[in-house]
Amino acid sequence: MANGTAKPTGLAFSRETFAKLTPAPFLQALLQQPDPIRPNGRSLDDFRTPTINTGSLSHSNGSAVVRFGDTAVVCGVRAEILLASNIPHPPSEDIYDNDVVERLGLLVPNLELSTGCSPDHLPGNPPSTLAQALSYRILSLLHTSNLIDPEDLRIHHGAPPTEDDLPDEGPKIVTKAYWTLYIDILCIALDGNPFDAAWAAVMSALQSTHLPKAWWDPDREMILCSPLAAEASKLRLRDLPVASTFAVFSTGSPLKQRREAESWVLADPDEFEEGVCTETVTAVVMSDGGDVGRIVRLEKSGGGAIGKAAMRRCVQMSQQRWREWQGVLNGG
Amino acid sequence: MQADRRRLNAPPGGTAPPVFATAPKTKLQRPTRTREPDQHRKLFLRTGIVPSASGSAYYEIPPQQQQQTGLLVPQSSSLKITCTVHGPRPLPRNAAFSPNLLLSTHVKFAPFATRNRRGYVQNASERDLGAHLETALRGVVIGERFPKSGCEVVVTVLEGEEDGWWAGNAEGRGGGWGMMGVLAGCITVASAALVDAGIDCVDLVSGGVAAVVQAGTDQRGDDGVVAIDPAPSEHDGGIRAACVVGYLQSRDEVTEMWMKGDAGMRAEQLIDEAVKAASLTRAVLAEAVKEAVEMKLEKVEGNAVAAASVKEGKGKSKDVVMTG
Repeated sequence: MANGTAKPTGLAFSRETFAKLTPAPFLQALLQQPDPIRPNGRSLDDFRTPTINTGSLSHSNGSAVVRFGDTAVVCGVRAEILLASNIPHPPSEDIYDNDVVERLGLLVPNLELSTGCSPDHLPGNPPSTLAQALSYRILSLLHTSNLIDPEDLRIHHGAPPTEDDLPDEGPKIVTKAYWTLYIDILCIALDGNPFDAAWAAVMSALQSTHLPKAWWDPDREMILCSPLAAEASKLRLRDLPVASTFAVFSTGSPLKQRREAESWVLADPDEFEEGVCTETVTAVVMSDGGDVGRIVRLEKSGGGAIGKAAMRRCVQMSQQRWREWQGVLNGG
Repeated sequence: MQADRRRLNAPPGGTAPPVFATAPKTKLQRPTRTREPDQHRKLFLRTGIVPSASGSAYYEIPPQQQQQTGLLVPQSSSLKITCTVHGPRPLPRNAAFSPNLLLSTHVKFAPFATRNRRGYVQNASERDLGAHLETALRGVVIGERFPKSGCEVVVTVLEGEEDGWWAGNAEGRGGGWGMMGVLAGCITVASAALVDAGIDCVDLVSGGVAAVVQAGTDQRGDDGVVAIDPAPSEHDGGIRAACVVGYLQSRDEVTEMWMKGDAGMRAEQLIDEAVKAASLTRAVLAEAVKEAVEMKLEKVEGNAVAAASVKEGKGKSKDVVMTG
């Protein structure tokens, strides 16, 4: 103290100042309590409750708004037509059916973070590495999980029999065009865990997508679509995978012995926790015919605190989470 | 067009939006304006929707009459705009000294905002809207109070107003009349977000739009009617001129004016009507701001009560205090 006369009182900061000055010790102090409570008031394996609205965008074939906590994501699916005659290098006939979507690039997801959703992602710059990585992860997850039946995306035409065809054969079916789905994901508000939110938004937007009935018009040599909503068909999804992200907070450092370090697994981290934790685990789970979730993707990045046991617990929690999501996704 | 290497692109063959066949047995009814010329559509405004930003607001004009036709093509579209404000915050170290607040605005349509899909890169018309918005806001913000600081205003249009009736002839579709309504919305929503961010302003700026519309079809001698808040799809004879203003009601000042088209003798009346529209919007704006402030006050009082209960020793163990 400057005057030196007053007895220095213990330097105590308020909660906000403590969190701002030294985020890691702040989080550690909270987690070391006998009954750990995270700064946002949740317990360790508490996820935020999601809410979903579908069909709020009028110019999309399918759309959804997903929000949990302070994270909100809007996703719009728009279908356009790719003519088979325009494909530069058409795939061979014997291509494995599930590869068609990937080979032709019929799904085009893009995640936009620079909508002013957080001060770290301001517009005016090209998409950040995070936005690019998330877009790519969504794309590869859509491909590997084989959610969409390529048959739903094909527009067939029964060509009239020509003279050299055998008379007893039926009309030959040719694929004249494909539906291409542009999946545009806009992050409106970001408070951690963009991947789970974006993936859930993609899922429920795809689930609400209706494709118009389309046919090849030989006279005008183009694809025409029926404007009647009654004739449109719903896009079928084979499954509804659910992504769950966990952040791992660890007191370990390269200078310390491994066993001295303590670590905590935090489900569904928010912005503050993401800033402090270096290690994350993302598990994507889908149903395996029945109700038990099967792992589609498991991703762990950074740090070395998570072992086999903790990983198993993460997967179990995401399976639990999968059950919760099914109700929300199917209800909404 | 060169492919954007930082995004996932369309398949190399290129895609086209679907072409719809004409529906059998359905007569499309052009939407008509049922409200009076001096009546504004209902609008919805709310602040504080993005907690991670310093200030934010959401603006919506819901669709008017929803015609049930069983068609897949949307009959009408609504206007949905979100705005976030980041700042005031220090300028980067390498920036030159500025005695005032540096305001930067950014307007972007979402890819699914309009009937034709839009790209991710800001185009010229969006930049133009941004420039208009900036002039409208510059006049209200008291920049001298925030030297060496910057402030970003980011507007995302989730759904934009259309330029004309979608099923009408191609002639009626152009003109960019929808942009005028979008700009008026942008001004109002940005103003609400600025207030939410706690940036000092001299007044609330609100946007208003009015247009000279022809009453009927093909009446050359017709002088037209001045209507506020035109929805381009509702005006059969077409819009001849439109005007957007950013208006400060309590100071009776106009910070931004944009007039388009040939208003002829009606120019002054058009501006007056636009100002009237802005005053109507302001009532909603003031109400939304007031509501937000009341909610904030309640929260502060609630916190004070909670803090008092902690002192009494109720939920003490939940809190940690840094000592040293």
